Amino acid sequence: MSKAPDVILLVDDDAAVRNALKFSLEMEGFSVRLYPTPEDLLAEHDLPTAGCLVIDYRMPEIDGLELVERLRRRGVTLPVLLISGRVTRSLRDRAFGLGITDVLEKPLSDLAGSIRRVLDDGP
Amino acid sequence: MSETSIALALEAAEARLRSILQTVPDAMVIIDEQGRIESLSTTAERLFGYEADEACGRNVSLLMPSPYREQHDAYIGRYLETGERRIIGIGRIVVGQRKDGTTFPMHLTVGELRTGDRHHFTGFIRDLTDQQITEDRLKELQSEVTHMSRFTALGEMASTLAHEINQPLTAISNYLKGSRRLLERMEGENVEMLRDAVAKAADQALRAGQIIRRLREFVARGESERRIESLPKLIEDASTLALVGAREHGILVTFRLDPAADLVLADRIQIQQVLVNLMRNAIEVMSEGGAVRRLDIATSAGPDEQVEVTVADTGAGLAPEVAKQLFQPFVTTKRKGMGLGLSICRTIVEAHGGKIWVDSPPGGGTIFHFTLRAAADDRETDDA
Repeated sequence: MSKAPDVILLVDDDAAVRNALKFSLEMEGFSVRLYPTPEDLLAEHDLPTAGCLVIDYRMPEIDGLELVERLRRRGVTLPVLLISGRVTRSLRDRAFGLGITDVLEKPLSDLAGSIRRVLDDGP
Repeated sequence: MSETSIALALEAAEARLRSILQTVPDAMVIIDEQGRIESLSTTAERLFGYEADEACGRNVSLLMPSPYREQHDAYIGRYLETGERRIIGIGRIVVGQRKDGTTFPMHLTVGELRTGDRHHFTGFIRDLTDQQITEDRLKELQSEVTHMSRFTALGEMASTLAHEINQPLTAISNYLKGSRRLLERMEGENVEMLRDAVAKAADQALRAGQIIRRLREFVARGESERRIESLPKLIEDASTLALVGAREHGILVTFRLDPAADLVLADRIQIQQVLVNLMRNAIEVMSEGGAVRRLDIATSAGPDEQVEVTVADTGAGLAPEVAKQLFQPFVTTKRKGMGLGLSICRTIVEAHGGKIWVDSPPGGGTIFHFTLRAAADDRETDDA
């Protein structure tokens, strides 16, 4: 009765952050795909229908909010967790305006817990 | 009084006025309640470059640049309607425009005069171009902005530090968290000790994160005060400061303000700092060379209750690799300076829920754009 692990799609331009989050999430039993830039995610043709997106806010070129906007326009409805080195009220407001589930401030001591809550709330 | 004596008295009054207008050392302009120029002193003719004959009968907005030019009638209208004094009897430093299109700082005092039921306004003007007073006022404004800059620079540095240090901290605490999970599945005599050490290391990573957060909160304590502000007014005030010296560099300044982009939710001093920063940068870039030197400041009302402000120059433009990282702290194209100006602008604009970006069109020049949230005009309800 083993269910396929939930896929986490992670976009962050910092390699150390990306790899560390992959390591800790895999240890928690998630399957993780990494994308160093928003463009890499946008170029992905095989997006899963279940799982969750974890997107860094501050990235050069396209920021996390803009990436979410573009994904929504494409009909991607996966839940999104936005992560940022700094979470202000205005960032939170704008994120919720785009239907982002939660905004988390780094250093992210319990990302796995937040992801589980998102996936449990899902359909 | 007989008709002749009335005529004589009138003639005498007119002669007196003429003599005053010819000799008064200050520039003096008298207008009627429609804003039409009635008379101009000799000094005013010299100052603005108009003969009294050609200026009389025309709207006084002739003597000021945009955006005041378009708004002057409304200023008079508002005063006549509400009686609220914003300049009359108070005096202010404003910008005047000569016949040749050049502008200059001037001190304006306005007096009011009523004959019967008609209002006339007398403007006394002192050209501040060469005066110490300009210097003093400027120094005052500049020190206000510099103080703000330092304050914000400190905040910006803390915020940058927080961001930069949070990245490795995120990596550290997540590697440790993964290691902890891995260790839970392992057995052996040293595993228990290792688990304990990893847990303690994770606690210390979190502690470092808290210290960073506290530092940031400490410098951010001078929380910004956001109020409903008039965007044209913010631009007007910022440009009075920023545009000093623009004429010496032969720079033509134009304003294109969208009447629909009026009220915004903003911290006045912070947004003025953004505007001053962008305008001064533009002037600095253009004073380095170029045949056409034009600074264009424009506003437009956008969708989603956003207004956009653009500051465009005709300087050399930006190399794409510079444009890409222009808003990062410590990136600069100047020999002097820390490269914090634009990164502060970004911090301020983003804290206001807006965005800031730059275009360097193929034809040359640089256009900075930023957005602010429009504010609903509650005051309109009074008009009904």
